[in-house]
Amino acid sequence: MLIGFLNILVLLVLPFIFIGVINKTKAFWSGRHGAPILQPFYDFVRLLRKGQVISTTSSAIFMMAPAVTFTSVIMAGAFVPLISGRSFVDFEGGFIFFAYLLAAGKFFCLIGALDVGSSFEGMGASREAGFSSMIEPGFLIILSSIAALTGNFSFGAISIALEKAGPFGYLITFLAAIAFFIVLLAEGSRIPVDDPNTHLELTMVHEAMVLDNSGFDLGLIIYGSAMKMIIFASIVANLIIPSIINVYISAFIFIMLILLQAIIIGTIESSFARLKMSRVFEFVFIVVSLALAILALVTMRIYGGQG
Amino acid sequence: MILFIVGIFLLFAGGIVSLFLNESLKPLISVIFSFFSTFILSFVSLKVLFYGDIIKFSFNLPFPIGDVPVIIDPLSAFFVLLISIMSLISLSYSIGYITSYRGKSNLASHYFFLMLLICSMICVTAVQNVIFFLIVWEIMSLSSFFLVIFEDDKKEALSAGMNYLIMMHISVLFIMAGFMVLAIHSGSMDFSAFTQVFSENGFLKNAIFICLFIGFGIKSGFVPFHNWLPKAHPAAPSHVSSIMSGVMIKTGIYGILRVINIMGIPTLEISYFVLGISVLSALYGVLYAIAQHDIKRLLAYHSIENIGIIGMGIGIGMFGLVYENNLLAVLGFAGALLHVLNHSIFKELLFLGAGCVYTRTKTRDIERLGGLLKKMPYTGWLFLVGAFAIVGLPPLNGFVSEFIIYIGLLKGFEIKSLNILVIFILSIGSLAFVGSMALLCFTKFFGVAFLGVPRSKEAQQVKEDPSFTMLLPMIVLALFIFTIGLFPQYAIKLTVSATGCLTGGRVDIAGTLPMTLMNNISLSALAFLGLTGIMLLIRRSFLANKTLESFKTWDCGYQAPDSRMQYSASSYAAPFLSLFNPFFALSTDTVKPHGYFPATARFSEKKHDVIEHYFIKRLTGFVNGLFKKFTWIQSGDTQLYILYGVIFLVLALIAVAVY
Repeated sequence: MLIGFLNILVLLVLPFIFIGVINKTKAFWSGRHGAPILQPFYDFVRLLRKGQVISTTSSAIFMMAPAVTFTSVIMAGAFVPLISGRSFVDFEGGFIFFAYLLAAGKFFCLIGALDVGSSFEGMGASREAGFSSMIEPGFLIILSSIAALTGNFSFGAISIALEKAGPFGYLITFLAAIAFFIVLLAEGSRIPVDDPNTHLELTMVHEAMVLDNSGFDLGLIIYGSAMKMIIFASIVANLIIPSIINVYISAFIFIMLILLQAIIIGTIESSFARLKMSRVFEFVFIVVSLALAILALVTMRIYGGQG
Repeated sequence: MILFIVGIFLLFAGGIVSLFLNESLKPLISVIFSFFSTFILSFVSLKVLFYGDIIKFSFNLPFPIGDVPVIIDPLSAFFVLLISIMSLISLSYSIGYITSYRGKSNLASHYFFLMLLICSMICVTAVQNVIFFLIVWEIMSLSSFFLVIFEDDKKEALSAGMNYLIMMHISVLFIMAGFMVLAIHSGSMDFSAFTQVFSENGFLKNAIFICLFIGFGIKSGFVPFHNWLPKAHPAAPSHVSSIMSGVMIKTGIYGILRVINIMGIPTLEISYFVLGISVLSALYGVLYAIAQHDIKRLLAYHSIENIGIIGMGIGIGMFGLVYENNLLAVLGFAGALLHVLNHSIFKELLFLGAGCVYTRTKTRDIERLGGLLKKMPYTGWLFLVGAFAIVGLPPLNGFVSEFIIYIGLLKGFEIKSLNILVIFILSIGSLAFVGSMALLCFTKFFGVAFLGVPRSKEAQQVKEDPSFTMLLPMIVLALFIFTIGLFPQYAIKLTVSATGCLTGGRVDIAGTLPMTLMNNISLSALAFLGLTGIMLLIRRSFLANKTLESFKTWDCGYQAPDSRMQYSASSYAAPFLSLFNPFFALSTDTVKPHGYFPATARFSEKKHDVIEHYFIKRLTGFVNGLFKKFTWIQSGDTQLYILYGVIFLVLALIAVAVY
């Protein structure tokens, strides 16, 4: 019960803190004080109170898209294992539903961007569609390899992967955690895939797609994208945390791990520049390579020495 | 039995009657005949599907054919249901659509061939005798050929038609060869007798199956036998493409399933073959679809992709049979059959939508469209439903069948085999890749054609013609899409008894994994739809008392944006496609700008089908060259022909004398 309540908090409140911590870290590395950790939340509330400017060329799709995308993310949040591997909804093949749900949101996000008829937004949409098409196969290969390892086809299985994998466990979870962290960077539009602070339209990916959104819609988009990062960060955390430890300790470690990822992202953003567009494909393709490595390890674990 | 015959007869009669009517009555009368026939046939097939009343009868034909057994088992019934309902929908759409072709000479026979096509497709799924099967199969191919060349004053249509005709005859050659070997070994022409030929594993069994698979695969459009699809679909009128892509290519799938049904237990090798070729088809189809800018060519390549997905289901089912894993077999075949149904629904919707766009704008090039959602709202929103469904996204129907196939692949891990584990996981990855490429393709298609600002005068001036006969079929299809997507637990029941035909025995899925899965999907899909609705309401209440301003799109301070500055379909797909250049046969035409005032500069790039370009064209070139060497035989000289006759007679006499 308490964990369920905590999970709701993780899903709804942590996104703001996550972004806040990233910004604080960046401020720290550049020697600034930085905005308060809850600043993203204040921004969100402020956006909700604002009116909107709507492009004359757009249609109803443009108005619907942010809400649909946000719904898909929040619904995906119900499928993802959070504290101590528990999720609100879990059934066999749940992770496939999860992946397709996010894709459904992305579909609307992309057509919403194309609706305003701007070349910037088209460009952003084209890039985002290209990058995410590279990610999806790797994502499902990793999760189904883990399913093969644990013999459990639900999404929650990732939290027991470490124990089931025996001697290979650390290697598999390590590789999978890196892969999902890359997914987090790509889906959350962070450096080195995309620079959230850029002010030049030509170099934007996700930001370019939402150039024309304002007010409530923009708030939903920013909130949704932060929530998406929490979702992927909690996959990483669940891979690392052993499932056997006490629930409350596990909850504590879980939240610490998520905040740690925020700090890592902040550090990366302070020390690297965004990759050249054509190199981003290579970067996100690492997920597929890692997925194949994990597949190899899983088959070695299951059929090692038997041919 | 009698009802089934009446149903078929009504279709045929409708075709004949339509020959004698004037142009404005033809479509209507055909639809009326087809309506009653559909009513009867779906009654018959539903009875077979849900009560197991298998219809069996046979009729006697003169010498070379003999007794023709007709058996409507659940597998046939599933396809009869599909064919009759889906054809009726396309046919009713044609009432409105055909008006733009009024006065064409071909209209006279058009409805005759349409009805004949529907009639022969139903016969194909019902007869169980090789010779009669081949006859109706041939009628099906020929009547659809005449439908493809409907606009025979266009060169494109004629050449597409010839290509189609030739491919279909290569197909029938393979089918004939496969069946003849079976007939020789079993000494009978009936399908039921063939089972014994397949009783032992070995080269013969594999060879026959692969031969038949290629034959039926050409019809369905598996890669590398797909090259007729992207040509025939754009050439044919939209209601014909929709019948061909939605229903007719599924007769190839029926053929493959029937062979599996006859075979009983497949071998491991052919299971790998089917799964492999299906994954290849799915990837190839969708990759090429991204590169297309012709609405109907794009949709045709998506048919190839979806046939691949159906084939993956069949492959999984075959593995299930080989390893005697009933759950796996059920998941595979049920997924495949459900995807057959789903694909025909959303593909018909998309083709009919494409037809609406084409009749209003007279162009099939999406680079010339844009902003159609505002000008043609009904078509646009219905098209969006179809696009969302074909990408396989929840809460619509495409997701349901893909999900079952995914679960089948996951459940395959329970077969303790290294090869299968690796291949199934890679198939999962491929299916995911196919899904995300389809997402890219349809966001491109919908975003460029229906959103933004018009890119040409045609698109600028277009107006919707909300004619009831064209919209109603599309609305019905969209309702099907939602119903199956939201309540898959009922839809899967349609496939259950047909699945039983393939897995050998009655399947009862109540309370088993597939049913739980469907219930879960249903609840989640409903929740997603409901939450979206709630979210939109929240948005509305938030914006209720805010100032909403309209302003032109952000253009970086530039003050005169025009439609040519929009992102085009080519540029949308370019970054992704450039990664796959080795898989295309590229031909570019580039003149680079030079000097301070470059006057001429242009760039164009064409992506040709690599299999057609490197393989089929060379093959046909070789065959052409070979046959040219024999042209001297045809001199046109009468005396020479008489000489040939004499030589032939003499040789024949000698042969008779010797033996």
